[in-house]
Amino acid sequence: MLLPNFKKYLIEKGGLSEVEFLEIEPFIKIKKISKGEFLLKQGVVCNYSFFVEQGVLRFYALNEEGKENILQFATESWIVSDRGSVFFQEPSTYYIDAIEDVVTVLLDEDFVNKVASVNAHFRKENEKLLQNHIRHLYKRISQLLGATARERYLYFVNMYPDIMLRVPQWMIASYLGITPESLSRVRKALSKENFKPY
Amino acid sequence: MKLRTIEKIIKPGTPHFVGDGFRVHNFIPGTSTMKRMDPFIMLDYNSKYNFPATDKPKGVGVHPHRGFETVTIAYKGRVEHGDSAGGGGVIGEGDVQWMTAASGVLHKEFHETEWSKTGGEFQMVQLWVNLPAKDKMSPPKYQAISNAEIKKVILPNEAGKVEVIAGSYEGVVGPASTFSPMNMFNLKLKKGTKTQLTFPKHYTTSLLMVEGSATVNGEEVLADHFVLFSSDGETFTVETLTDVIILVLSGEPINEPIAAHGPFVMNTQEELVEAFQDFNTGKFGYLE
Repeated sequence: MLLPNFKKYLIEKGGLSEVEFLEIEPFIKIKKISKGEFLLKQGVVCNYSFFVEQGVLRFYALNEEGKENILQFATESWIVSDRGSVFFQEPSTYYIDAIEDVVTVLLDEDFVNKVASVNAHFRKENEKLLQNHIRHLYKRISQLLGATARERYLYFVNMYPDIMLRVPQWMIASYLGITPESLSRVRKALSKENFKPY
Repeated sequence: MKLRTIEKIIKPGTPHFVGDGFRVHNFIPGTSTMKRMDPFIMLDYNSKYNFPATDKPKGVGVHPHRGFETVTIAYKGRVEHGDSAGGGGVIGEGDVQWMTAASGVLHKEFHETEWSKTGGEFQMVQLWVNLPAKDKMSPPKYQAISNAEIKKVILPNEAGKVEVIAGSYEGVVGPASTFSPMNMFNLKLKKGTKTQLTFPKHYTTSLLMVEGSATVNGEEVLADHFVLFSSDGETFTVETLTDVIILVLSGEPINEPIAAHGPFVMNTQEELVEAFQDFNTGKFGYLE
């Protein structure tokens, strides 16, 4: 199957040539799941990072009352994983499920080593990806501690431009740590300021 | 006049739901690309489908559009529309709703509340018509075109009639105003009649067999099938096998680059990025 996003990622970010891509192509593992199906459940060790070729994934925890707290969305070319569970080989406390039908590439240490053996630059890219992820997490923690609902929303839609059209509003409110009503107020206020009727 | 030949006859594919109120077969861009069908860039056809009675109208919730026009042609059932530019209304059998999203609107479409309470047979076409680059950021507008306003040309020998929604037939001009030259007709023809239609050779021309069956240039076309013509001549012939309703689309290609993502159809990637930013920051207005 064609994987235009994953190929683009390995070539543009990973520095692979077309020929090098062909060399690793036979080692690519794909998993397809339908909307509502899971890639990870609480209590299970997570063995992969999931590169989203197509669709939307959501990474979340359930609190004691059964409320979902969404940590991350992953749309095309994003990677999502319970990195702690993968690295320390401990049961996950999180869930990953599909909001749309998803095609994902399964990334594990063997695959990373394989790609790095073909082109060493990829290891650097992988490290950069991790550092970038940590940078985002810092930003997210600081926003959850102190930013207004509006600041959180604007940062979010800048990062995921098409997500408002793909994910129900209550999930976005969950990600932002605000109520759906508060999200609706933010969007209403923005339209009051920015909409110019003719 | 030279014969316009058939490029392909397309049977309706597996239907999918848009929201919970429209069960559609996609013909454009699913079976022919936007570029090929220019200026008609999307066609979803809700073939006859029976919706059961409900107190909660089915449809599609609030969503944005920019860069084109949405045209809904109702054959059976009633649908209600509202948008953030203040447009809205109800259309029923034989009516057309022509919304110019242009610079951007939010809108929603549902089965009419009263119609939903009884439910019944539902059949509609939704079409997206592209806008020339110079008009993509023009103000949104809304044309509600009732069947009474649609110009009818009665054909000789009791062959039936041509309802002219847009463009012109035999000098009779339809009520819809368009941004590029096009013709949009509903042919309502009696069984056993022969009709010829002529459009400029370079116009992208197609038809949808909404009701009944006919031969087109001698080839049999069954109900719910879509016919795409080549741009190799001006004239084609319809000979009816039953009473028929045929939607005919013929438009001059705009011939500009197309950059499309979801509900936005622009000319460049940069304009698409801007469309998402503007949508996210409220520039399309607000709609509950």
